[in-house]
Amino acid sequence: MRVAFDSDRVQPLSSLAEGASGEVAEVVARASGRADRLLSFGVTPGARITVLQTFPGIVFLCDQTELAVERGVAADVLVRLRGTRTWCR
Amino acid sequence: MACHIVRERLAARPRLLTLRSRPLRIALAGQPNVGKSVVFGHLTGRYATVSNYPGTTVSVTTGRSLIGAEVCDVIDTPGVNTLEGAVSEDERITREALEGDRSDLIVQVADARNVRRALMLTSQIAAFDKPMVLALNMVDEALARGIVVDAPALEAALGVPVVEMVAVEGRGLPELRDALARATRPHVPALQRAGDRAVWAHELTTRVRRVSALSLARIPEALARATRQPATGLPILVAVLYALYLFVGVFGAQTLVRLLEDDVFGRGVNPAATWLAFRLVPVPWVRDFLVGQYGLVTMGLTYSIAIVLPVVATFFLIFGFLEDSGYIPRLAVFGDRLFRVMGLNGKAVLPMVLGLGCDTMATMTTRILGTPKERLIATLLLALGVPCSAQLATIMGILGGISFAALGTLFGVVVGQMILVGWLASRVLKGERSEFILELPPIRWPRPGNLLTKTRLRVWWYLGEAVPLFLAGTVLLFALDRAGLLGVIAAAGRPIVTNLLGLPESASQIFVMGFLRRDYGAAGLFELARSGQLTGVQAVVALTVMTLFVPCVANFLMMVRERGLKTGLAILGVVTPVALLTGAGLNYVLHACGIRF
Repeated sequence: MRVAFDSDRVQPLSSLAEGASGEVAEVVARASGRADRLLSFGVTPGARITVLQTFPGIVFLCDQTELAVERGVAADVLVRLRGTRTWCR
Repeated sequence: MACHIVRERLAARPRLLTLRSRPLRIALAGQPNVGKSVVFGHLTGRYATVSNYPGTTVSVTTGRSLIGAEVCDVIDTPGVNTLEGAVSEDERITREALEGDRSDLIVQVADARNVRRALMLTSQIAAFDKPMVLALNMVDEALARGIVVDAPALEAALGVPVVEMVAVEGRGLPELRDALARATRPHVPALQRAGDRAVWAHELTTRVRRVSALSLARIPEALARATRQPATGLPILVAVLYALYLFVGVFGAQTLVRLLEDDVFGRGVNPAATWLAFRLVPVPWVRDFLVGQYGLVTMGLTYSIAIVLPVVATFFLIFGFLEDSGYIPRLAVFGDRLFRVMGLNGKAVLPMVLGLGCDTMATMTTRILGTPKERLIATLLLALGVPCSAQLATIMGILGGISFAALGTLFGVVVGQMILVGWLASRVLKGERSEFILELPPIRWPRPGNLLTKTRLRVWWYLGEAVPLFLAGTVLLFALDRAGLLGVIAAAGRPIVTNLLGLPESASQIFVMGFLRRDYGAAGLFELARSGQLTGVQAVVALTVMTLFVPCVANFLMMVRERGLKTGLAILGVVTPVALLTGAGLNYVLHACGIRF
């Protein structure tokens, strides 16, 4: 048995609506140092994320940390929306 | 494993009793805003400024503490999210404080709510291979949010003592002191990549932490939400500014100043001093030196104690309240886009708002910004446009008495100039801005004890730093007046002060005072305005120029220390013409439009 994920439901944090929640699937390292910076704030694969606000900036709760980021940064955090884990044989 | 720990502990125990050539150095390290400075205060009895925003501590503070039978040096360090890779200035300072023999033992202070992040840092601190203790702080807040950490399990997993604390209440401190004697080197897998550390921290956290959905912190959470949503946050910002105006501009700058200046000094101190001087001092110029027009008592003390002290004291109190509530970083959410125009990001809200307290301290806080370019622009904008507490209050005191339009004009012009200069600087200067990632601290009810201590220390600091400068400035003015140079300066300044800015001639000496300290100059303007020598337009123009004008001597020295002499002089070279040209432009426009306020 292996765990697979419905890839359609993995979305960048920047595209999520207020109130959406899930867990971090991946932090894409597009800009240098950005991924490390996010990791140091606890935005790591598996961490639970809830979007608190989307305007004027993006504010989200990651585990127990409330973080405010600009849109470009949020675009690099890929979130797996809650309840989309599927078990395959 | 457990047996191993016991052996290590036994081996470690006599360490604190050995004779040393220097005291044992204990460094406090951890993420920003987890309470390191509170622990430091308890251990050493020294107060390091405590607030509720990341970046309160930007330099290393050292104090002595008696731990067991031994005197130790305790080192408070700036908060760090990471110790490797691209680090900011404050993170570099911490890394250096932990390296080599600058510290022998490390106490990692952690937010009990956020064990996962703390552990990622633990694995980096472990790389220093020094005995350490993990202090889980704020377990009360963690509990209120339904988070329970299994400290013994964590202790077994890491192989270092783990102490649970509520540092602000002093809970867990005896345990921490005991644990210091048992400090051991952590048994943490040596991980190189940040990603691996994250996985390790995540797994360990799931083993030692339980989270239930319960939350008892309803009101602070609702406030936290309201302050960052535009629909509620902007009205709240306006309300906060209005409260600031009422408390500082009206109560401080009008009620208290009137009481102190007119009653205490005007009817008490100054007549008494004058009477005494005439009685005891036979030499006329010495008498003048003490109680004349530029007298030490009648001008120096009156300005510093009767005019500026009440406004800075009221400001420090309300400002400390805002600092401790966790409100200030939330402004970054609104400010981010605006600051990006100026080559900065929302994080720059912190030094800018702190500049309202004191530009000198805020210049040091620019260390939390990510790139050299950002630090330079922030330093420039602080020097250019951000009025310090005393200035802000005198502005409110003078213009509040004229009209809201006058106040609005001044702030509009100053903010506009800052945006313009920031935008130009971001175009001209090389380098990049960093990305906006900021942790928002929880909203907390400020603790009255901390608020009062902080305000008291800041007022003392003001008295120690500003009053001597006010007195020195008075001596200088007295000497200039005696030598007949004040008239020369006024004549030399006439083309600018009178013709360009449209101000009375007596205003030129105020700019001389402003060179020394901006609030000294502002106090001089305050006096001019109160004695009816300034029209509304003149007051607005004079205050605008004074706000934009060169920073005080202390701020200049700090700029030189942080950015170098060349940059410091360059900033002066930008700020002075901008201030004068803006004042001239404003004077022209106001007259051309026939605005009187």
